[in-house]
Amino acid sequence: MATQPLTCSNPDCSLASDGKCVEGFEVEECPHAGRISIDDVPATEEPETQVALPEPTIALSLGEPLDRDEASTLQRRRVSRSIGLIGPNDSGKTSLVAGVYDLLQEGPVSGASFAGSSTLIGFEKVCHLARAVSRRTVPHTERTSRGADATFFHLDVHQSENGLTSLFIGDRSGEDYLAAIDQISQVDQFFEIRRADCITLLVNGEHLADPGLRHEVRAATPQMIDALIEARAIRKGCHLAIVLTKKDSVLASPHAERVQRDFDGIVASINASHAACFGEVKPFVIAASPRDCEQVVRGEGVGDLLLFWLQACPPAPGAREDLRPVFERMIDLLTDVGDGK
Amino acid sequence: MSGEVHVSIVGLPSSGKTTLLAALWHMVREPGSSTALSFDGLSNGNYEHLNQLAKRWRSGKIQQRTQVSGARNVTMRLKDASGRQVEVSFPDLPGEEFARMWERRELDKSMVGTLAAPAIVLLINGDTIRMPAWVVERMALAKKLGVVPAAIEAAEWSADLAPTQVKVVDLLQMLMSGDLNIGSRRLSLLISAWDKVEGEQLTPAGLLESKLPLLDQYLRSGRDPWTWHVWGLSAQGGVYEDPEKEESFDETERLRELERPSDRIKVVDGDAVTTDITKPLEWLIG
Repeated sequence: MATQPLTCSNPDCSLASDGKCVEGFEVEECPHAGRISIDDVPATEEPETQVALPEPTIALSLGEPLDRDEASTLQRRRVSRSIGLIGPNDSGKTSLVAGVYDLLQEGPVSGASFAGSSTLIGFEKVCHLARAVSRRTVPHTERTSRGADATFFHLDVHQSENGLTSLFIGDRSGEDYLAAIDQISQVDQFFEIRRADCITLLVNGEHLADPGLRHEVRAATPQMIDALIEARAIRKGCHLAIVLTKKDSVLASPHAERVQRDFDGIVASINASHAACFGEVKPFVIAASPRDCEQVVRGEGVGDLLLFWLQACPPAPGAREDLRPVFERMIDLLTDVGDGK
Repeated sequence: MSGEVHVSIVGLPSSGKTTLLAALWHMVREPGSSTALSFDGLSNGNYEHLNQLAKRWRSGKIQQRTQVSGARNVTMRLKDASGRQVEVSFPDLPGEEFARMWERRELDKSMVGTLAAPAIVLLINGDTIRMPAWVVERMALAKKLGVVPAAIEAAEWSADLAPTQVKVVDLLQMLMSGDLNIGSRRLSLLISAWDKVEGEQLTPAGLLESKLPLLDQYLRSGRDPWTWHVWGLSAQGGVYEDPEKEESFDETERLRELERPSDRIKVVDGDAVTTDITKPLEWLIG
């Protein structure tokens, strides 16, 4: 058996060469002898392995709904219409967005053809739960998250008479819009409403058919418009579509006629108070994503609404400056110096 | 007059990109074949890949899936009826690269040059088009038929579940934006596996309108500057066998019995039918 050569961890010691301890210890008694110095440890050689580096990639557009800056950039490219969808939660805003897109999946809608979109992933997500591929037995739509900034779905649409128009459909939680009734200052954050060419107010037909919810719908719906007008959040000459949603639920209820009367009443009430603030006010009844299609066709009424969205809304001279809402907030009277009155 | 033309063949997985290359390479070299573009000689390139594809195609065997990593560039020297020479280069890109563009929203940098070609062949497998379908209509049909749908777990959203036409529209939009945007381009849209869909008695344009209406609208709108034309293409003529599964079909045997392998090919343009697989290419390179 070979003996190990003497070594010492003290770098000043020559024990290895002459067998003597620099500190005068017997070799057996030296606390450093036999220890391996760091210099004695041979440097390990890194094995040369070929690590395949991933191919550098470039990021493509995410295809998700756009934030306000992204939408603004795209809006400068061609004629555009910005749509502000407002309504309480569960009134059918996301279903309407999905419904417009899904109708285009089957061909032109009321003469309007699909020409492109930078938010296809976003559209696909909101359509999923109403598609057969989701394996659901009842169509469903996910709610938009409360408190999140509004985003925009983008659709380029082609019409033979008007050419290309870009649509930007604002999406924000219904709860946020409802909150504006309680606190009008909330409206300040609704940038999608300020830039809208067409405000689209959704009235939940299913709720209007429900005796327990009916009166709340009748009361709260005009109040949302009141809040926007009072906060001066609506663009001059902008159109207003008032849309009764979930026509299938309305027709399936025993109160279909009453729902229609109530809806007509809501439209009349808004017209009476605020018609002068808008370029045009028009009612619609739709079934964007019905639960059954025994009495309605999927997407019923959506084509007419799409055409209304695509209409130009020329600025209505003096439409807003000259006509005040029928009420005034005291705070506005104290602070408003905007029109010099 | 001669020129060099770069053509990119794009399409989702299993759309027939490699089969097109195989049939094209066979046909331009088939003795006695009469095609709009014909073989003009070999250059110093490596033809092993193309020859292997053509050999497999002739024998009635399905093509192996194109390797996912990297593109193989193949080049053909062709000439048109007037003697004009063109060198056409095609990268044989795996369909997964295009699926990845839709699903993961990214692209290998190395593909940018390839996909920036001024001429694009887009293949869509006519037999595997996934059309959108809706719960409400599915349920109405089930009710009509007296079928009670089985309770199964709902499927979470994922990008690969999107309809074929949505994926293809997005692919074309991507080719017209960002680093890939080179302005106007020509697009040959080939609906492959035409033998599987011709029973529907539709022209290729009719099939595009009825089975891929979103894509049809997008192209017709002219928002993006595509100069496009649509063909139906059956590059095999019928079913081929998978040697790994030891398949054997009478239909494949009938195809092998044809006097000329190129007789298997069917290229449909409106109501006109030809075996000349170079026609879409001739149109593409103008």
